[in-house]
Amino acid sequence: MKRLLFVLSLMFIASPAAAADKLTVMLDWFINPDHGPLYVALERGEFERRGLDVELIPPADPNDPPKLVAAGRADLAISYQPQLHLQVAAGLPLMRVGTLVATPLSSLVVLADSPIKSIADLKGRKVGFSVGGFEDALLGAMLDKHGLRLDDVELINVNFSLSPSLMSGQVDAVIGAYRNFELNQMDLEGRPGRAFYLEEEGVPAYDELIVVAKRENASDPRISGFIDALEAATQYMVNHPDAAWELFIKGRKDLDDELNRRAWRDTLPRFALRPAALDSGRYQAFAEFLKRRGMIESIPPVESYAVEGR
Amino acid sequence: MSAIVKPLIVFLGLMCLWQAAVSVFEIAPFILPGPIAVIEVAIARADTIAEHAGTTLVEILLGLAFGTLLGSASALMMAYFRQARSWLLPVLVVSQAIPVFALAPVLVLWFGYGIAPKVAMATLIIYFPVTAAFYDGLRRTEPGWIDLAQTMGASKAAILRQIRIPAALPAFASGLRVAAAVAPIGAVVGEWVGSSAGLGYYMLLMNGRVQTAAMFAALFILAIMAVAIYFAIDATLRRLVAWQPEADPATFS
Amino acid sequence: MNDANLLSASPYAPGLSVRNARLGWNGLELLSGLSFDAPARAWTCLLGESGVGKSTLLRTLAGLIEPLDGVDIWAKGATNTSNSVAYMAQQDLLLPWLTAADNVALGARLRGETPDSAKISDILERTGMTDRADARPRELSGGERQRIALARTLMENRPIVLMDEPFSALDAITRAQLQQLAFELLGARTVVMVTHDPFEALRLGSKIHVVRKGDNSGAVPFSPAGTALRDPTDPSLRGSYHAIMAALDTPKTPENQGNAAA
Repeated sequence: MKRLLFVLSLMFIASPAAAADKLTVMLDWFINPDHGPLYVALERGEFERRGLDVELIPPADPNDPPKLVAAGRADLAISYQPQLHLQVAAGLPLMRVGTLVATPLSSLVVLADSPIKSIADLKGRKVGFSVGGFEDALLGAMLDKHGLRLDDVELINVNFSLSPSLMSGQVDAVIGAYRNFELNQMDLEGRPGRAFYLEEEGVPAYDELIVVAKRENASDPRISGFIDALEAATQYMVNHPDAAWELFIKGRKDLDDELNRRAWRDTLPRFALRPAALDSGRYQAFAEFLKRRGMIESIPPVESYAVEGR
Repeated sequence: MSAIVKPLIVFLGLMCLWQAAVSVFEIAPFILPGPIAVIEVAIARADTIAEHAGTTLVEILLGLAFGTLLGSASALMMAYFRQARSWLLPVLVVSQAIPVFALAPVLVLWFGYGIAPKVAMATLIIYFPVTAAFYDGLRRTEPGWIDLAQTMGASKAAILRQIRIPAALPAFASGLRVAAAVAPIGAVVGEWVGSSAGLGYYMLLMNGRVQTAAMFAALFILAIMAVAIYFAIDATLRRLVAWQPEADPATFS
Repeated sequence: MNDANLLSASPYAPGLSVRNARLGWNGLELLSGLSFDAPARAWTCLLGESGVGKSTLLRTLAGLIEPLDGVDIWAKGATNTSNSVAYMAQQDLLLPWLTAADNVALGARLRGETPDSAKISDILERTGMTDRADARPRELSGGERQRIALARTLMENRPIVLMDEPFSALDAITRAQLQQLAFELLGARTVVMVTHDPFEALRLGSKIHVVRKGDNSGAVPFSPAGTALRDPTDPSLRGSYHAIMAALDTPKTPENQGNAAA
C-alpha cells in the first residue's frame, strides 16, 4: 500500500505544475558531517524527485527538536536513540522512522598523554559531560565493569564545552564527545585525545543518530519518501565520497574546513547503509539496559516507538 | 497581615490561571506541566532540590556581597579622583553592554567549574547598577549642605564621610534593589555554562532527561528564592534610609 | 540683650567693611561698585530684588566663592573666614538623617570635636525645641526646622553671622515669631542679613542698604528711626516703609541700564 502511494506521488512530480510537499526537518546540532546524507540528498535533488520540499533547520537548543516534533511544530527531527527511550518513557508521542548513523559516536575521551589508561583510572577524577541527561547511565555502566561506582568520580556539567574543558585541563575526561568530531577537533588544536568506546566498555550498541516523527504521522507517505531519499544519498556517498563532499559544502563555504574534512572521512563508515531498516533486538536490548540502570521504569513494546522507514 | 494576604491571593490566582491554560489548551506535559504536577514533583524531590537551592543561594549572596563592595569602591573612586573616572567609566559601560551569556564560557575557562565563575558572573551583572547609582548619588549632594559644612571648617574627608555618603544612600539603595533582582540571573547563567550543582544545573539536567515537571519545580524554587532575597534586601534598605522625606504620589492630599 | 553669657566677655567683635565689590556669576557681572559697612554687634540688612546678586555677595563674604575683585572684608583683625563666620541659608539645610539635636551639633561633629551637650540643651531650650530634640527633620514643620537651623547657628558661636533670607519661606506669622527669636538670640553679634522684604529689614536692621543690579556706587544706606527690634504697630515705621519702597522703585539711570542687560 505504501509502495502504491509512493509511486502515485512520483507521478504527481512528473507534472511541473504539481506543488511539492513541505517537510520541516530539525537537525540535532549545527550543520556538521553527521548530516552528510541529508545535504547530499538535497543537492542531488533526491527530495525533489520524490515530491518533497525539505527544509533542514539547525536548532537553537539541542533539546528542543524532539519536543517540537512531539508538539506538532516540526515534521521530523534528527535525534538520538538513547534519548528516544527516555522521551518515550516521559510520554512524548514519538516514533523512530529511520536511522542516520548506525553506530554510537559518543565516547569517553581523555588527553592522549593522560595518566588514565583504563576506565578504572577514573577513580577520584573529574568527568565533564554535556547536557544529554543520560550520560551518567552510560558512565555508570562503564565504571561498573571495572568495579567502580558513579560517586567515585566527580561529574561536572560543562554544557557544550567538551573539548575546551578537556584541553584546558579543567576536567580529566569527558563523556559525550563524538569520536568523529571532538577527537579531530582536539588533534587540530594540538592537544590530541584518546577515546574509550562505549560499546567496547559495557554499554549495548545503539544508533547514535535517528530520524523521529510524531507517532500518529509515522505512516505519512512523505516520510517514506524522505527515508528513501536518504538511502539514495548514502549509497552515493559510499560510492563517490569525494564528489559527495563537494556537494556537502556546495553553497556552504563556512563548512569547508580541515575539521569537517577529517570528520567527513571518519563518519563515512558509520552511516546507516539501510536507513529504513530497524533492528528491534538492538532497541529492546538498550531499553533493558536503561531499565537496569534505573533511567526508565518500564519497557514498552518496541513497535510502539520504532518502525521501519518504509 | 494584608501585606501577605494580597500577594498570596495573586499567587493563587496565577496558579489557577496556569492550570486552566494547561487544561483548556491541552498543552502536553513535556512542554508545560500543570502546577499540580510540578508541586507533586517538588515535594517528592524536596531533598535534592533543597540541596541545589542551597548552592545557588550561596552563589547569589556571595555575588551580591562582592558586587556591592566592588561597586561602592568604584563609585567612591570615581567621585573623588578625576583620573579614576576616565579609566573606570568605559569599564563600567562595557560591563553593562556585554551580554553575560557571552562572557560566561570565558569566565568558566578562567575560574574552572567550581563556585568562582558563578560568583564572578553575579558580581559582574550587578557591578554597573550599584556603581552607577551610588556614583550618581555622590555627585548630587545638596550644594547647600556642602556650603554649610565648608563655613563650619569641615575637611574634605569629613564632608565625604558625614554628608556625601549618607546623602547618597537613597540612590545607593535603588542600585542595590536592582542588584538584588538581577543577581540570581548571573548565578544561574554561570551554572548553565558549567557546574555540578545548583538550581540552574538541575534544570538543565531535568530538561535533558525530559523530566519537565522537575525542571519547572526547580524553576519555581528559584523564583521564590529570588523574590525572598529581593524583599529581604528591600526591607533592610528601607530601614536604612527611613529618614528620607516621603514623596509618595499616592499619599498626596 | 540676653545672650551676653554665650559670647561672654569676648572682646573680639569684628565689623565688616566692603569697598567697591564687583560680583559675577557664571562669568556674567551682576553688580559693581558696592560699598557698605556692617558695624560690630549690629544688625545690617541688605535689601534688593531677586537676582540682583545678594546671595552671591553673602557667599563671597562667607568665603565660599571668589569675588570678581575688590572685596575688602575685615575692618579689624583679619582672620580666615572659617573661624569667624556662621552661615544660615534660606533652606534650613538640616541633614535629614540626623536628629534635631545632632543637627544642632553638626559643626562639632564635622570638625571631629565632642559636642557640648549642656550647651546643646540650653540652646534647644532657648529656641523652644527641647521636646523635639530627638525628632528627625521630616517630622518637623517649616518653622521648627528653621528654629533648629537658628540653634545650629547659635551653637557655632561665631562673632559674625551671615543670613540669606532665612525666613522668607515661612508663613507670615511664623516668620514674625522667628524674626523676634533670632534677634533675641543673635542681636549682640555682627549680623549681615540679606532680604527682599522691606518690612523685615525695617523690623530688624539698624542700617539698611539697598542693593541694585549693576552699578551701586554712591548708594546711601537707610537708618530707620528707633532701635531694632522695631514694633510693627509703630506708626513711624510706615513713613520709613514708604521711603524704602520709593528707593526700590527708583528707575535706573541710562548708564546703569546698559550694565543691567543680561
